[in-house]
Amino acid sequence: MTETLITGIGVISSLGIGREAFWEQCRCARSGIRRITGFDTGGLQSNCAGCVEGFNPAAWLPPMTYRRMSRTSQMAVTASIEAVQDARLDFATLERSRVAVIMGTAYGGSSCIGEFFDGCIDEGPQGAHPFLFPETVPNAAASHIAIYHGITGPNCTLCQHDLSAEAALHYAANLIEQGHIDIALVGGSDELSRALLTCYGALGVLNDITVDATEPPVPRLQAGLVPGEGAAVLILEKSSTARTRGAQPYGILTAAVFAGAAGAPGYYAGSHAIMLQALERAVSQAAIDRSRIDQISVSANFSGALDRREYRLLTDFLKGCPRTPAIHPLKYLMGDFGGAGAVRAAALLLSMRRQERLPGLDVEILNTQGPFLPQWQQDCGAAARVSVMTSTNVGGATACLVFTAFDT
Amino acid sequence: MVSPTVRRVVVSGLGVITSTGECVPAFQQALFSGACGIGAVDLFDTAGFPCRHAGQVKHRDLRSLFNPREIKRASRCDLLGLAAAREAFADAGLAPGTYDGANAAIVLGAGTGGLHSWERYCRRVRSGAAAPCPSQLLGVPQCTITDRIASHYSIGGHRATIATACSSSATSIGYGFDLIRSGACDIVITGGSESLSECTFAGFSSLRLMDARACRPFDKNRQGLSLGEGAAILILEEYEHARKRGIAAYAEVLGYAINCEAFHMTSPHPDAGGMSAVMSGALERAGITADHVDYINAHGTGTPVNDTTETLAIKKVFGEQLAAAIPISSTKSMVGHCLGASGAIEAAATVLAILRQAVPPTVHYEVPDPACDLDYVPNHARQHPIRTALSNSFAFGGNNTSLVFGRVDRASARTAQ
Repeated sequence: MTETLITGIGVISSLGIGREAFWEQCRCARSGIRRITGFDTGGLQSNCAGCVEGFNPAAWLPPMTYRRMSRTSQMAVTASIEAVQDARLDFATLERSRVAVIMGTAYGGSSCIGEFFDGCIDEGPQGAHPFLFPETVPNAAASHIAIYHGITGPNCTLCQHDLSAEAALHYAANLIEQGHIDIALVGGSDELSRALLTCYGALGVLNDITVDATEPPVPRLQAGLVPGEGAAVLILEKSSTARTRGAQPYGILTAAVFAGAAGAPGYYAGSHAIMLQALERAVSQAAIDRSRIDQISVSANFSGALDRREYRLLTDFLKGCPRTPAIHPLKYLMGDFGGAGAVRAAALLLSMRRQERLPGLDVEILNTQGPFLPQWQQDCGAAARVSVMTSTNVGGATACLVFTAFDT
Repeated sequence: MVSPTVRRVVVSGLGVITSTGECVPAFQQALFSGACGIGAVDLFDTAGFPCRHAGQVKHRDLRSLFNPREIKRASRCDLLGLAAAREAFADAGLAPGTYDGANAAIVLGAGTGGLHSWERYCRRVRSGAAAPCPSQLLGVPQCTITDRIASHYSIGGHRATIATACSSSATSIGYGFDLIRSGACDIVITGGSESLSECTFAGFSSLRLMDARACRPFDKNRQGLSLGEGAAILILEEYEHARKRGIAAYAEVLGYAINCEAFHMTSPHPDAGGMSAVMSGALERAGITADHVDYINAHGTGTPVNDTTETLAIKKVFGEQLAAAIPISSTKSMVGHCLGASGAIEAAATVLAILRQAVPPTVHYEVPDPACDLDYVPNHARQHPIRTALSNSFAFGGNNTSLVFGRVDRASARTAQ
């Protein structure tokens, strides 16, 4: 496998706008789940989510650029700007056709889709707004990133529900491996919208949290997902390119494994067997012993079906392991969305750069019901050299990524 | 040329459902006879739209094609995709228990997924009628058809759904090609599925990109595209793996390229730089020179800008003289623009053209356009020797994909029907 490094990170999340703010919230395990104020939540099952607060696209983008973008696109482009700056990429000196933009999203500009169709219902064909329509396609964010930076290499968007960003990372790594490109801006983005929460509510999959302006939201474990929003962009780079330009890598993407089992739409695979298989394959591909794993980011999202499967996955995988890694369910802090995998990867990589493990939770919490009263264990003195990310989706797909420290 | 150590990739199975034919033989028959499937839409109300037709799949009850247990909560997009997948698996000789699902991956392209189901749900809610069944929302995500096919056929390897609008399923074939070539697996299910929906109909209409008549790609009086729906599944397989199974191939996948224009969300760059670069890149990756291309299946939407720009791009890549000698056709003139499925449907048309050594026509072509002055195979198919062929897909956001297919050696090739 061609050595693939991560050399830049940009994050817009409910835990903070920008990489540094995000990291501070992560290391202190402060929740970004709060009351939704961005749109009317009247009649919705829940009025709380992992909302990005205080994001002002005008601080990053010219008005003519951001005004025609969905919130998803705005967050994605902004995260890409931060990532490019962080990696010190100078497109004037790069062959732009050898740079890719690969993004993952579950629903893209869902607010635009909702608004667009509301216009059609209310006013018929005359109500279809031509400015909204281009933002209803999932690939809008990736295209805006390419337009903003003038990147003419491969451009692709993957929609694999909650594994969308993981799928994007896999495809980007494949493009580097196959020699198509040298560098990829890869990540994920999604936005909260009334249209989306209406669907989730109808399906009965939401954690029922309704609070007034003064109450802090307390999600219940195994009681339904807490939705979220945000964007993260990572700069993936072929090792030789990164070394030549003197980049300072956060880490190495050592393994990326996808696998699938049978799963009906809206339901997880029947057991955690395929997740375990993917995890074992990834660890084997990375050529590491499981006792060397410092932290595992799991995709637990407060939904009982997923959290219980991840509990079984970890207890089976870590059976007999002399050392327990930190277990980090970031979605417990920021909610769940299709592009969340990129934000989770960013958290792991930032912790590796800072030689500071993410705070973890006892694995038993994944198998617990009731109010989430977090007891994050901080082991700030411990370095993180090997980080694993496991992710599982309704429909039966599962993914596992391994990041290892970069030694100069 | 391809090094003997490089893993070769062939198309070992096909499944197609479109407005012109609901299986490969019917699609093929229509393709080479120039039949058009574009007609009045009755899937939803088109009153008030300047254009009221599209390439809608004619089957009155797609659900009747399946065992009800197979299609619980399935969207129209799912049904189209499952129909094409069933044909493709049978065509490739992949009966249950005869292949290793862990050695197979699935990469599909998607456009709107189950958007039509969501629209129906929203309309019911807004009408105040009895509460609609929320389970129809389960089919909304674009990846649902990928998960359904993977689950139904026990595909245990890599799974991905590409959503780059009109180039989605062409890119899925490219990704599948990479997965086999890299040795990740021996079989990849690729292609895409798309259902008509009110949002896309209204969206393209609002952008004034739809022709009030059936679309007329490359014609001087063309006014825009016609939408369509359908699905195509291409089973990609490592050459030796297919040979050992005794499966004859339709064609070989020689390479692909994808790029981005980085110019505009809905318009191609007028200098055709992105389109020409993606075609050149695909030829380079396939290891062939321009003079080996004997057929181009164009993106050919029928919008004034696309067809002129694509023509210019082809001239840039092949030179004026060679470009004029290559037959070019638009499958969209018959089936409409099937968005997320269009790249796969056109890839299927391209491999069938290679198999039959014949080029399908561009129908509704009446008046030559001085700005589109190449050979668009007007209205009638023709026999033509094809060694290699190019299939173009250009999408919103400037997402371009070109695929290169080649003829397989006689011993490994299927017999044309």
